[in-house]
Formats: sequence, C-alpha cells, structure tokens
Amino acid sequence: MSDEELMSQVRNGIGEMLGVLFERYHVPLFNFYLKLTGERMVSEDLVQEVFFRILKYRHSYRADTPFRAWMYQIARNARIDHFRKQRSETSWEPEMSPVIEPVDTAQQSQEAILLHRALTQLSDDKREVLVLSRFQDLKYEEIAQLLGCEVGTVKTRVHRALQELRQIFNQMGSGKPGSRKGSEGARPGSVQ
Amino acid sequence: MNCEAIGELMPDYLQGRLNSEMANEVEKHLAGCQSCGEEAALWKNLALLPEEQPSPALQTRFKAMLESYEEGRWEKTSLAAERRKVPTAMLWGLGNWKQIPFAGVVWACVFLVCGFLIGRHSDRGPDTTAQTQLNGMRQELTATRQMVALSMLQQQSASQRLEGVSWSARLQQPDPKVMDALLHTLRFDNSVDVRLASLDALSRYAGRPDVRRELLDSLQDKQSPLVQIALIDLLVDLHDRSAVPQFKKFQQDPKIDPTVRKRVDWGIQQLN
Repeated sequence: MSDEELMSQVRNGIGEMLGVLFERYHVPLFNFYLKLTGERMVSEDLVQEVFFRILKYRHSYRADTPFRAWMYQIARNARIDHFRKQRSETSWEPEMSPVIEPVDTAQQSQEAILLHRALTQLSDDKREVLVLSRFQDLKYEEIAQLLGCEVGTVKTRVHRALQELRQIFNQMGSGKPGSRKGSEGARPGSVQ
Repeated sequence: MNCEAIGELMPDYLQGRLNSEMANEVEKHLAGCQSCGEEAALWKNLALLPEEQPSPALQTRFKAMLESYEEGRWEKTSLAAERRKVPTAMLWGLGNWKQIPFAGVVWACVFLVCGFLIGRHSDRGPDTTAQTQLNGMRQELTATRQMVALSMLQQQSASQRLEGVSWSARLQQPDPKVMDALLHTLRFDNSVDVRLASLDALSRYAGRPDVRRELLDSLQDKQSPLVQIALIDLLVDLHDRSAVPQFKKFQQDPKIDPTVRKRVDWGIQQLN
C-alpha cells in the first residue's frame, strides 16, 4: 500500500496504519535529525514529535499531496519549534550548531569519520539542503516545495554546500577525496 | 565547459538526472578539473556515513502514543453524537414561541441569548475535547518516559542504566518511584559512572528537603571516593549548613580516603 493510501486511512481514523508509516520512516527521520543535530536523544524526541503531529494534524492531510513531502514539512517545523523553545530556555547557545557526537570508530573508516566531522561544521542551512538531497532521497522539486523556494535555488544551494564541504574537508588535512573517484564511470546518482 | 557551467549541471548530474550526452560532458570535465572532481567524489563518499539505529525506546514510546490515541478516539465519537442533539432542542423552543405570540419579544430575547450561549458552547466543544485529548496523550507520554526510565535503570548493562538516568532527566516532575530508583542507583549501582550520573540527575531536585536529606545520608564510607567528593561539592554548592554535623561525623571516619578527608575539611570551612 502506498504512503498516501496509508495516510488517508490514518486521516479517516484508522490509527494503526500509522504504525506502518512509522516502520517505513522512523529510521530515515532519526538519521535526518541525527545529521542535523548530532544528538541521539534529541533526534529520538523529534521523531516521536513528528508522529505525534501527524496524528494531531491528520485532518489537514490531502490525499493528492505526496506523503513524504508533507511529513518532512512537519519534521522541519518540529525541529524549528524545538530549537526555538530550547533557545528561549537556555541562552547560552544561540546557534543550532550540532555537537560532535561520539561515533563507533572501530566500524568506520577514517574517511567516514572526517566526512562526518566536516558535515557538522557546515552551516545549518547548507547542511540541511545537503542532507535532504543526499540522504533523505528527496528530489530538488520536493526540497524546493519544502523550503518555499525555486528549484534553481535549491540546486545552487546544493552546489554551494558541496563547495563549502570540500573546503572544510581539505582543511582537515586529510587525503584527497578525489583520489577515490570511481574510475569505472559509474553515475554518482546511482550510488546510495 | 567551464567550472561555472558545470556547477549548474552538477546537482542534476549527482542525482543521476542528466541525459547520457550531458553526463558525459560533465564527466569529461570532472576528470580534468581537480576541484569539481573532488566535489563529485565527496557527494559519492557521503554514502560511507552509516545509517544509525534509534534505541528501542522510540518504538515503545510510539506504541504507547498510538494506544492512547486509539482509546481517546472513542470518547470523541460519543461526544460528537451528543452535540447533534442541540439543534433539536432549539427547534422545540421555536415551536413554543409560535404558540405564545404576546410574549414574542421576550422569547426572542431569551432565544437570542440562549442561541448565543449554545452556539458558543458547541463551538468550543470540539476544541476543548481535542485539548483534553491532547493533554491526555501528553500525560501518557510522561508516564511512558517514567516507565522507560524505571525499566532502564534496572538493566544489566551499565550503559543502559546510564541511559535510564538520562531518561529520568527528561521528566519535568519525576514521580516518587523514579526518585527512589535514582537514589537507589546512587547508593548501590555497581558502576561509579552510573552513580555519578544519577547524582547529577538528582542535583536538579536538590532544592527539595527530602532529596537533600537522602543525599546527605548517602555520604558513607562505602561509597567510591569520586562519588563522595561529588556529593560534598554538591552539598557545598547548595550552601546547606545542616550538612555540617554530618560532614564532621564523616571526617572522623577512619576508613575514608585522605583526599576525601581534605575535601570534607574544605567543605566544612566553606559552610561555616
């Protein structure tokens, strides 16, 4: 059953269908938040908040809108509200900058660790657009709708984010990412 | 093509959305241009970042929320049915008014006021119901957090108990059971880290006299010196002068570590 059909059922009061949507999306959403905030606890709280809001606002869902775009809209708002609330409670951190979370170094290559660190140093809006396009599997059109801007703007932002990421990555004094480039000519878009 | 032109095509290339002719153009440039090549490689290498898994608690909390929703839904249906009776009552009143024409003006006023009140009432009805429902759900979420905190505090692995302690920190108003569990952890947990974490969590409620008394009681010679020092520091921070007698007694204890003894001396000086 498609996401949209499931959500329509949730809207009509069949709550257990939300369980299926939860199974499909709680891990992607968790990773979305984890990459943006760097905090596991906060990320879990936010995922819970998203599903809470989906139930709360289920009547505002229209069957002809793509569920994922709608869900990510809720996810973004939940995050904005969370940090607004947090900022009013604690005055010591004015930015949404993520902490560097402890990673399981044994399981990750050196390059992945550096990439992770570079990603956390990217400015918040650049990181968001990069995460949305690279990890959340969203098309530029969907992201444009989400951010309320033109498709061209999204593409420009993705490219700028990559440029900035490259600078940060190279400043870390690691090896060259270019050396690992696929010489077999595989399309990067097909690599997930 | 120059870098600028490639930059415009790059996002579409990266998502694999260019036709083969254009893609070849881009690839030709990438092979010869270091900076553009590195950007494309970075995009590709982002796949190296692993997908993380949330803790099982997320699943539990979601189920608890869904259950409370399922239960709340029935209340709403029955209330909606009751609201439907209101318009019938108004029609009955209108029938009466036709039979007593002389009192028409008076009745009109009465109906106007009644209609206004009923209208306001039935307008507000669903909102307050939804609000009650939401409050109910929020309460259930708090209950789930308490449950998670409690069950995690009883786990075998120290890291899970640590997580239990941090769960307890998410509660605005922890219930007595959670407090007891935290105090028990502070005294008896095998891991010093977990004991220190629970002390940290308890320090948020140290304003409460009962908690403070328990903290003071847990300053015993069997404790690890690390926890003893943390306890002394906390009690000094709280400027709790009633701690002085306990400190003095503790200072006389022959079994305590010399460093801890120095800390107690310092603590007594601070509080006096």
